[in-house]
Amino acid sequence: MKPLSRLSAASDLTLGLIGAFLAVAAWEISARTGLVDPAIFPSPSLAIRAAAERLTAETVADNLFWSLLRVFSGFLLGALAGAAVGIAAGWYRGFGALARPLIELLRPIPPLAWIPLAIIWFGLGEPSKFFIIFLGAFFPVVTAAYQGMRSIDPMLLKAAQTFGLSGVPLLLRVAVPAAAPDLATGVRIGWGLSFGVLVAAELIAADRGLGYMIINERNTGGSVGVIVVGILLIGALNLITDAAIGAAIKRWIGRWHGA
Amino acid sequence: MSQSPVMERRSPDTGVGGRGPAEAAFIRIDGARKVFTQRSGGAVPVLDNVDLAIAENEFVSFIGRSGCGKTTLLNMIAGLEDVSAGRIAIAGKVVTGPGQGQGVVFQQHALFPWLTAVDNVAFGFRKSGLAKAERCRRALELLSLVGLDAAAGRYPREMSGGMQQRVSIARALALDPQILLMDEPFGALDELTRIELQQELLRIWEARRKTIVFVTHSISEALTLSDRIVLLASNPGRIKRIFPVDLPRPRLRTDPGFNALYQAIWNELST
Ligand SMILES: Nc1ncnc2c1ncn2[C@@H]1O[C@H](COP(=O)(O)OP(=O)(O)OP(=O)(O)O)[C@@H](O)[C@H]1O
Ligand SMILES: [Mg+2]
Repeated sequence: MKPLSRLSAASDLTLGLIGAFLAVAAWEISARTGLVDPAIFPSPSLAIRAAAERLTAETVADNLFWSLLRVFSGFLLGALAGAAVGIAAGWYRGFGALARPLIELLRPIPPLAWIPLAIIWFGLGEPSKFFIIFLGAFFPVVTAAYQGMRSIDPMLLKAAQTFGLSGVPLLLRVAVPAAAPDLATGVRIGWGLSFGVLVAAELIAADRGLGYMIINERNTGGSVGVIVVGILLIGALNLITDAAIGAAIKRWIGRWHGA
Repeated sequence: MSQSPVMERRSPDTGVGGRGPAEAAFIRIDGARKVFTQRSGGAVPVLDNVDLAIAENEFVSFIGRSGCGKTTLLNMIAGLEDVSAGRIAIAGKVVTGPGQGQGVVFQQHALFPWLTAVDNVAFGFRKSGLAKAERCRRALELLSLVGLDAAAGRYPREMSGGMQQRVSIARALALDPQILLMDEPFGALDELTRIELQQELLRIWEARRKTIVFVTHSISEALTLSDRIVLLASNPGRIKRIFPVDLPRPRLRTDPGFNALYQAIWNELST
């Protein structure tokens, strides 16, 4: 690993950009030279042109807004509920014994498997999508929060006790911060899963959102270019939001935890 | 400070500290045992039948081989570890948990990683009722006492082991406890800093009238500081012998009395 570690961050970035440029160039060239059929996989320039023709900024913004609203609300509540349940299960023995088997039983079910039930319970509207996005965030966060609580250095709790802390203040002032690094990892995984679940849910049952935008294009026999651009847009959105969450986590615990 | 009537019988010329179990006990350990139950179900006897009486304002050191149970005994006095049999009382009150006037400097520092040095120390003022600014000011004062003014804004992971240890000492001092339980507090320090902090500790002990139980692996450190040195034997941990240190302070290593005691403790420890 010596040669790699000698590269500076700046040259890493440069290499990354060169890699991306090469991939796009190869894609463009193979489409133009007829190596791949533009009707099923158009070149980047064609795709963008098609998307610019068929989509207005307004449509894109509207779909984007709905996707973000769904994923944020589902994720936020799912992560909050997951953190609360995980922390409580790790702190209160009785509650842990009660809740954990249930969580372990439900956790292996992929959130998407809940879609039929969600539609039956909540219909085709927003609540059913909210529900499965919620699950997408809930399970990673609840698991990480519980793990974090169980792996707290007991000496920290003892030290805090010698300063007269016990009960809820001990939990909030010491146990939760001590479990924060694990919790943060869970939050980040939860975001990724929520996002994936969002797009899948929009592909299956939605009348707006980025997932709907691309599947609708397919169903109405529109342009493959729009689909390609939509996919890239979804990827970019996930990239940006994940980076933002990563940066927030770094600000939150980076300095003392060194993550 | 609670002064039990028996305490007042102490002759004033002995200065601080009782000189034997017959004297009034501030911390009284009666037939204390500790058995750890392992996950496999096995029981490990760690301390066997420890009797010890520590007078108010006394400075007592524990010395003994690694693993003999010094930390365990200290944690039991701190109320952080149950007593399997027997009992431990402070000022006549059986220890049922922490917060009965015991401040602890932990062997592994036990600093809060998410707090800076100054906030770790300020944590010790939690129960003081002081305003935040005042707590911060005093925390900085304590940090400068242990020679860490410059590191106030650092997190534990950004500090060396010795620096962390000093923060941990400052944090325990912030609590201003009646009883200071210190588990190898100067273990990770260089000789010069160690000697400075020993003197500082003695100064605080004399000025603030504290009872100190101090664990160390250094015979000369124990001799420099203590009224009595309790030598523990291993497997299971028990008191092997108690050495009163009747030497005037400040103690000099060149003092023949110092050397004679050093030899006596060394011999006892190594047999
Ligand atoms: N939680 C525990 N469970 C089981 N055994 C334990 C536990 N804590 C300590 N012990 C055992 O008890 C014995 C005494 O441990 P203790 O930490 O009190 O030793 P010590 O005298 O402080 O040693 P050192 O000088 O190395 O710090 C050791 O043999 C240790 O393995
Ligand atoms: Mg120890």
